[in-house]
Amino acid sequence: MKRRFGNKNRVWLGIVLLMIFLISIPFFATDYWITLLTLILIFTVYAAGWNLFSGLTGYTNFGLAWFIGSGGYVSSLLIADYNFFWLFAWPIGALFTSIVSIGVGYILLRIKGVYFAISMVALTEGTRELFGTEYLTPITHGGKGVPFIAGIKLPTLYWAILVLAFLTLMICYRIFSSKYGLRLLAIREDEQAAETLGIHTTRDKILAFVLSAFMVGLAGAIHFTYQNYIDPSFAFSIHLTLTPIVMTLFGGVGTVFGPVIGATLFTFIHEILWAELTLLYMAIFGGILMVLILFFPQGLLGWMKERGILPRIRKI
Amino acid sequence: MLDFLEILIRGLMLGSVYALVGMGLTLVWGVVGIVNIAHGEFVMLGAYFAFWAFSLLHINPLFSIALSIPVFFFAGVVIHRRITERLIKEHELSALILTFGMSILIWNLAQFLWTNTYRSVPYLTGNFPFMGLVFGKSKTVSFGLAFLITTAIFLFLRYSKWGKAIRATSQNSEVALVCGINTMKMRMLTFGMGIGLAGAAGAIISLQWVIFPQMGGSYISKAFAIVVLGGLGNIHGALAGGLIIGILEALVTQYLSAKMAQIIPSVIILIILLLRPTGLFKK
Repeated sequence: MKRRFGNKNRVWLGIVLLMIFLISIPFFATDYWITLLTLILIFTVYAAGWNLFSGLTGYTNFGLAWFIGSGGYVSSLLIADYNFFWLFAWPIGALFTSIVSIGVGYILLRIKGVYFAISMVALTEGTRELFGTEYLTPITHGGKGVPFIAGIKLPTLYWAILVLAFLTLMICYRIFSSKYGLRLLAIREDEQAAETLGIHTTRDKILAFVLSAFMVGLAGAIHFTYQNYIDPSFAFSIHLTLTPIVMTLFGGVGTVFGPVIGATLFTFIHEILWAELTLLYMAIFGGILMVLILFFPQGLLGWMKERGILPRIRKI
Repeated sequence: MLDFLEILIRGLMLGSVYALVGMGLTLVWGVVGIVNIAHGEFVMLGAYFAFWAFSLLHINPLFSIALSIPVFFFAGVVIHRRITERLIKEHELSALILTFGMSILIWNLAQFLWTNTYRSVPYLTGNFPFMGLVFGKSKTVSFGLAFLITTAIFLFLRYSKWGKAIRATSQNSEVALVCGINTMKMRMLTFGMGIGLAGAAGAIISLQWVIFPQMGGSYISKAFAIVVLGGLGNIHGALAGGLIIGILEALVTQYLSAKMAQIIPSVIILIILLLRPTGLFKK
């Protein structure tokens, strides 16, 4: 008992030291490293958000880009057209995404399995095409996109996304080791059985869906502020859905730190591949995805747990 | 009135090709149990197959359409044996993610090898008048070919021994296995047929539309809409669904805009899944 307590303290000390290091980075690192870390953190939130909903409930969300795009679009348009301060525009974008996703979840989460995945793809594709049509051009500026300047410095942006990533992981940790997390896992294993046991499956699924939408929407808003530009074909692209999924699969689905490991590693891989093999970049990603599904369906953390490198525990 | 009739016919011709794409997807999904997101990429490969056969080897496109069926059939058989058969017993979502990866791998490779240039097969261009209406030559030929292939698939599944075995596998794989049907072989055959249909559809598409590496995306969304409309594994439903989507697309393109027509598949998928998740038609 005493030993475990000591271990826990040491883990906390490690986290605090890591946070202090990460917070102090803008004071000595070059812009290149800050940019890289910002991207890692953005994709950590995307992957953790995807994992929070899909990893626990087993409903594959193939419309993550829809969260990203709507959060990004609302905040970008507020900044570009209505001169909002970025600090206010971001939460409004995230809130908009989560409020809409209450409705979306209420309607679409009745659809199960593959059909849910397809309906989310349809929603994303449909929104992308709709944003590019002439009917919505007065609001969305059409397919050519919206360039804007938010007037935020890189270190500030970095700290903002660092706080968001930290909070996201804390929330994930709390949920994964809570009764609510167990209820979601029960839904993943057998939804009918879970319902018979008295779990309010619809409510629990929608809650996870909306939480995921809020985090991912907020990260999306920050992502496009960082890019100073948004257009429908990137904001709602398959690329933005795929990358966090690959990251999560690599790290381990349904684990707290899997997405972090995946996001860190794949952002570095991205840096190298993008510089060396720009044209084949997506093909390599697709190939990695296939190999992961065929040979390592458990992900890195799951593989380490199987080999006994990490303990197989889930504390409630 | 004549205009309206012309739009309807244009939609029907369009829909017959879409139905071909959708039939391949629904067959594989219904019988093998694998949702092949890379289906649209095989359509793209089929189109490039016809294009290269025409521009490099000067093979008549009509002949390369016929040739594309066996070529893609065998490609499908190999892919299934090597890759997708491993996932039969897994959760259906792993196959979904795998084929998603395959789709990206294929289009990006195509982009790398053949660049993003828009290409087309200049064959059977021009129109001909018939009973006061004007028809595109290539569209009419495409319609005829799609009709021919569809009929062949119907007859094969209805009357041939293998067709019956495939249907049995689709209805209940375990009972079919007990009855002495080699279900693994049937799944392989069906996957091959699905990819063969995609390849043939792509070769037909190359006659009338532009070819580019990312064209698969628009066909896969239509194919999904067709499967959802017609009901999973329902070949007749897929034909009807394809025609419906073709006609809707022609009407929306005419009366709203070409960009709005791109939204149809998404809207149909969402509406049908919410209202009648089993599809519009009885099996």
